[in-house]
Amino acid sequence: MRHFRTLLAHELRTALLSWNTWAAAGLFLAVMGAIHFFAVLECSRAPQPWTPVEATFRLFWLPLLCVLPLLTMRSFAEERRSGTLSALLTTPASPAAIVWAKFLAAWLTWAVCWCAFIVFPLLVSARLGTAGDPRLNDAATLYGGLCFVLVSGLMHVGLGILCSAITRSATLAALLTFICLLGLTAVGGAMESLPIESWAWLGWLREPAAHLRTFGHLQDFAGGILDSRPLVLYVTGMLLSLGLAVLAVEGQE
Amino acid sequence: MTNPLPPPEAAVTAERLTKRYGSLTAIEDLSFSVAPGEIVGFLGPNGAGKSTTMRILSGTMAGTSGRASIWGVSVALHPAEAKRHMAYMPENNPLPEDLRVEEYLRLRARLKDVAAEQVEARVQKVMEDCDLVRRASGRLIGQLSKGFRQRVGIADAILAQPKVVILDEPTIGLDPHQILGIRDLIRSLRGQMAVLISSHILHEVEQVCDKVVIINRGSLVAQGRTDDLRRELWPRPGFTVVTRATLEELTAACCAAEPAAEISAVEPFGEGWLRYRVTLPTASPVRDSLASVLARAGLTFRELTEERYGLEDIFLAATRRTTPEGRRA
Repeated sequence: MRHFRTLLAHELRTALLSWNTWAAAGLFLAVMGAIHFFAVLECSRAPQPWTPVEATFRLFWLPLLCVLPLLTMRSFAEERRSGTLSALLTTPASPAAIVWAKFLAAWLTWAVCWCAFIVFPLLVSARLGTAGDPRLNDAATLYGGLCFVLVSGLMHVGLGILCSAITRSATLAALLTFICLLGLTAVGGAMESLPIESWAWLGWLREPAAHLRTFGHLQDFAGGILDSRPLVLYVTGMLLSLGLAVLAVEGQE
Repeated sequence: MTNPLPPPEAAVTAERLTKRYGSLTAIEDLSFSVAPGEIVGFLGPNGAGKSTTMRILSGTMAGTSGRASIWGVSVALHPAEAKRHMAYMPENNPLPEDLRVEEYLRLRARLKDVAAEQVEARVQKVMEDCDLVRRASGRLIGQLSKGFRQRVGIADAILAQPKVVILDEPTIGLDPHQILGIRDLIRSLRGQMAVLISSHILHEVEQVCDKVVIINRGSLVAQGRTDDLRRELWPRPGFTVVTRATLEELTAACCAAEPAAEISAVEPFGEGWLRYRVTLPTASPVRDSLASVLARAGLTFRELTEERYGLEDIFLAATRRTTPEGRRA
């Protein structure tokens, strides 16, 4: 635990001083700010069936695919390439402590990015919103959506850490993370779009499909529904990814 | 970092260590030990398996079979505890480029379980010992020269006052002044820590180490003190004699005192002097009195030198005898 705290402090400091983190955070805020700006603009032109915050959160996959790989790609790949991971493993710090410290540092950075983003809707609401108008004062969707990205981020960041732990190339790690996250998001989207219920031969897929409805989870969180299934999915996914990452670090020769 | 238990007989033990990569055997049945406080040179040609052995001992690589222990603790079974007794500096000495020397050493001290109240004192002490205080302490590691980077690596290795320090080529790429500095630093560790050091600079190893372990093609070919190895590899003492005597006169003089003496290799040495090689049997009493034997026989000689084989000769002879070509020779 003592090593974990030391490593976490080091990882957070490294993240804070890394140009990579600032570039990723800048890209994140630029992308999310632009999305939110256009959503507000669209809502101001004509009434829409969605609020700007809702529209913005429905595009959460965009920063997930573009920014999250940038945050996790260097965590292990760079250390493996430079050999500093081997040096770290000669200390009494366990591989599990190293993996968890890197994971938590990346997840906290991801969380900080999202927390910084909510300043946009709050500013828009404060400047343009009127009392009683639900379109710009959509706090439920805002905080529910934030909870969703933070909870789902456990698994997504875990996957990024795993991809970084299995390669020496940061670029390859980013690419692998992108592919994994794209696959997860696409599968989650497809599970909702495909009429699985009407295909009898795909009946066995109904139950697992219900677990993978990524956008459905977002709606549930935004609607204030606390379903344990997505929590189990994301926490299990995180534990599995980090467990595999620990094995990859232990097995690095 | 105090150990309440009495020190074990061996600080480092490798017992029948074997490492295979598929069909390739990097090391096979390698056994040796390092006593507490002893400095041991670990030698072998490129590709002999030195770094592989050191990595197994340091716990960064698993062996295929055999047992490696540090301060009596199995590296494979109790890696965290073994690592508490040991520090390892790998060959290329990887360091994070974006940390300052002091910050890096502080981080390493915390990871190596140095007590929080001692971290600062230990960091200052090793920076002084490694001559890092004035010119490097506040600089980014990425901006340091090769010599200073090596010093940072060694400072890191001795930071937590481990029982065992494993240094893989610590003087590689250093200039002679820097090598002297590192040599003195390693010498100063004698008696405090067991040091296993690999180097290609054999003169360096001879100057610093109490004992050498020589491996070739993954197997042990010799180990022990250099004097013992010298006696093992060249059991018969040899002398060079430069005299005006003929071969017959010299043979008669030597054989009168030691009938088993062999005289060979007559070479002109200029101005009527001739150079001979005299070989005596093992433990011959004449070894200590060859000069008086020649004088008593009335032979004038200009030079009488016992042949001294350096570590380089020992290394070459030991590694050569394990190759088919060497065995044939």
